[in-house]
Amino acid sequence: MTTTAAPVHVEHDHLSPPPPEGIHRWTAPGWLRVLWVTPLFFGIGLGLPVLIRWLVSWNPVWNGTVLATVELVTTPVGFLVGLGGFDYWAHYASGRPTRPEDHSGHGARSWRDYFRVNTDHKVIGIQYVVTTIIFFCIGGLFAMLFRAELARPGDQFFGPQTFNVLVSDHAALMIFLFIIPAFAGLGNFVIPLMLGAADMAFPRLNALSFWLLPIAGLIFVVGMAAPGGGPSAGWTCYAPLCAHQPLGNVFFNMGVQWAGASSIMTALNFLVTIITMRAPGMTFWRLPLLVWANFTTSLLVVIATPFIAGSQFFNMFDRVLHTNFFEYQNGGYVLGYQHIFWFYSHPAVYIMMLPGFGIISEVIAVMSRKPIFGYRLMALSLLAILVLGFSVWAHHMFVAGMAGWLRVPMMVTSMVIAVPTGVKIFSWLATMWEGRIHFTTPMLFALGFLSMFVIGGLSGIYLASVPIDIHASDTYFIVAHIHYVLFGGSVFTIFAGIYYWFPKMTGRMYSERLGKLHFWLTFIGFNLTFFPMHYIGLQGMPRRVANYAPRFADINLFISIASFGLGASTLVFLYNMVRSWRYGEVASANPWRALTLEWQVSSPPPIFNFDEVPQVVGGPYEYGVPGARHAIFGAPAPTPHPEPVGAD
Amino acid sequence: MRRGSLIQLAAIAVVAAGICVAVALAIPWLPQAAGKEAQRIDMVYWFTTGIAIAVFSVVVSVIAYSLWKFRARPDDDSDGPPIHGHTRLEIVWTAVPAILVTAISIISAIVLAQNSNAGPNPVKIGVLARQFAWSFTYPNGKTYGYLELPVNRKTQLDITSDDVIHSFWVPQLSQKQDAVPGQHNKLVVTPITTGTFPVICTELCGLGHSLMRSHVTIVSQADFTKFLKGGATSGPPGLAVFQQFGCSGCHTLKPAGATGTTGPDLDKLQQYATQAHRGSLEAFIKESIVSPGAYIQPGYQNVMPAIFGQQIPPDKLTQLVQYLAQNAK
Repeated sequence: MTTTAAPVHVEHDHLSPPPPEGIHRWTAPGWLRVLWVTPLFFGIGLGLPVLIRWLVSWNPVWNGTVLATVELVTTPVGFLVGLGGFDYWAHYASGRPTRPEDHSGHGARSWRDYFRVNTDHKVIGIQYVVTTIIFFCIGGLFAMLFRAELARPGDQFFGPQTFNVLVSDHAALMIFLFIIPAFAGLGNFVIPLMLGAADMAFPRLNALSFWLLPIAGLIFVVGMAAPGGGPSAGWTCYAPLCAHQPLGNVFFNMGVQWAGASSIMTALNFLVTIITMRAPGMTFWRLPLLVWANFTTSLLVVIATPFIAGSQFFNMFDRVLHTNFFEYQNGGYVLGYQHIFWFYSHPAVYIMMLPGFGIISEVIAVMSRKPIFGYRLMALSLLAILVLGFSVWAHHMFVAGMAGWLRVPMMVTSMVIAVPTGVKIFSWLATMWEGRIHFTTPMLFALGFLSMFVIGGLSGIYLASVPIDIHASDTYFIVAHIHYVLFGGSVFTIFAGIYYWFPKMTGRMYSERLGKLHFWLTFIGFNLTFFPMHYIGLQGMPRRVANYAPRFADINLFISIASFGLGASTLVFLYNMVRSWRYGEVASANPWRALTLEWQVSSPPPIFNFDEVPQVVGGPYEYGVPGARHAIFGAPAPTPHPEPVGAD
Repeated sequence: MRRGSLIQLAAIAVVAAGICVAVALAIPWLPQAAGKEAQRIDMVYWFTTGIAIAVFSVVVSVIAYSLWKFRARPDDDSDGPPIHGHTRLEIVWTAVPAILVTAISIISAIVLAQNSNAGPNPVKIGVLARQFAWSFTYPNGKTYGYLELPVNRKTQLDITSDDVIHSFWVPQLSQKQDAVPGQHNKLVVTPITTGTFPVICTELCGLGHSLMRSHVTIVSQADFTKFLKGGATSGPPGLAVFQQFGCSGCHTLKPAGATGTTGPDLDKLQQYATQAHRGSLEAFIKESIVSPGAYIQPGYQNVMPAIFGQQIPPDKLTQLVQYLAQNAK
């Protein structure tokens, strides 16, 4: 395999069609078409409801809630039509001859190719990662704004409405626009390469699922300026509060639909890709654990995400269509919302955690130069979490007033799910034991993850215990717990993944010095910000309050200052990424001396990933085993259709 | 693994555990328990903390030991020993955590059963939550904006809501229960010390959520009997209405000790009425309660729930209007 460094995607000049001219520039897919198709669909979304209401003489003809709801469907569809997200299928569905694939939508020849419907999984992966980091910064900015408000008790900068909007949107952006899609982005880039495949199974679906994401993010952000007020019912958007809050909550309901649709499409794509596109010899027991992790995550997404979609639709219907799913005066079941919502949102915690487990397995094995300890148990524990993950949702409802008998069984399942998670932690520790550990930035983040996630997991045990949860639920103890799980857990693994694959994605090395500085600033800032929250929560400070008792003033000031430091640490990361992408040292194909397939091709990889199909002959982590190989290239050509060999 | 390295590892673990224990003991993590239920919850809390410290110490000591002993030199390109697993070890670290969480589960289930048991003859108090106030109805049929409880006696709270979900919590009593519209949820508390503690709404319920506070006063059984007989509120009848319907959640009114800032300052009602030109002061106050959206004082938002017209009985509404008008004059 070639190991020459090629920092820009070039080569393979395919016969792309000539650029459109004249009026065709406006009808060809792209931003010029977006400029007129989006307003057109906006007009349809505005005109149709008004016309119908006028014809049947409903008053008022002009109803803001109805219009907003319809617009949040039609305008994004118009944008996607303009950009060309549906062109191929529309062409096919209208009965015209199928277009031969000329690969003109594949690969990135200039920066412009990142701003169109691109079917290359590597381009889409980078589109995802960059987009999610932008929303990470916006969400973090919101957090610092409300931390400024919380620096003193009483009202400083914002009224309660703005405060509630900032809190709700912080969580919505971090969950739906950063953590979940950031993992989808890293998976997009890496999974086909790890499998020895040329691309994902459905490249056009892949492109579409990316472009749904900025739409969802913009809906959350634009919703803040909705007349009457932004989404203010928290990211949990509990009924019946949500339906009686300002119009912005419709934006939240609809934003979740777009983000959820994106997530489901990506998960389907991952599942089909992993099942059908493995290179010859790549059996399930030879899959890297990152692939295993994304396989289980995708199953979780496909099964669970429709439930949050349903819960948000019902909430919105209660407001817009005057249904009574959760309106108790008319026979609705208030707690029904929470059951449906958490039936997604607890598995969602694992959706936000399992891909991170995969990243950590890659990083720890490579950086410790040892095989993963207990590979099969590591894969099986992922499946155990998948199954158990669907049996624990009501531990979010111990004080909600649900059926009393449900509490103890849900406590037991929530306790039991700690066991497979513990197996993973101990196996990583055993992987490091007697290794040759290289403390690179990804490894530092992996160790940061290990120690912080253990704290988050242990505080989870407290919350699984019903009596302790009765005291601690809805307090800052919960805020501390979720941040140890989702920041100390998920975000640290995302950083580990970004640093680990940065050379593969960009063809350049990041600055190790700045990477380590970023780690230490983040690690310290994170602990100073979130650890004291355990204390104020247990002592009596509830979450989601703009005002609090004066006795918590000093410690809140401390937390606010620490949170600004934590926010500032991100600047180091951004500077390192931008600078290294442009000027970094050119990376070799395999700077970490890793065995998995993505490192056996050039950095960045060729446009179709593999010039020759790899033949997988062994496990992915055979470090220290004399003569062991994961894959060989240039083996006698296998069958013309590279069918995977079934799992053994 | 050699015996020497095991001893070094154990030494690090003991030091780590010692630091954790010091942190656990030096900081008063939990509020001083004022109820029997809180004492039991504290017991579960400390039992869990013991296990958590043990697990955490093991994990960080292995990380620390690896940092110390297994660091590769920059020029070291060698690989570690190809160990793929160890079945007995894997069984141990599956079984031991399973036993530990089972122990926590059993203790938790016992404490939960004890804490939910109202006994044969509890004091029964109704708790009604609404945006953004608490009201408590006592066995004598009277309703107040604050909670009074007898010490050393089980009280069963019957908690419900008029509008959205709220949550009743007294940190010192450790018991918490959501107030769900259309549902009557039960909660048992058994105070053991007299004193005054905050009642906090812990479920986001709208704009006034962070101001939705009341207090609980725990008194001797004799004082509680006196309280039930007397109906301890003094002052004009309108003040009782003001407290009962939780106006203080959002409004400032000095004579009532209310300091809310979400809604207009009721000490300035005369001035507002002059600006508004909506009839007499009394008519203006009544309109503002019954249909709050009719006139919005500049600088404030149209957020007051429009339900008080139906909730407050006509005679009480008249008392409230008179009280507010007299105060403003």
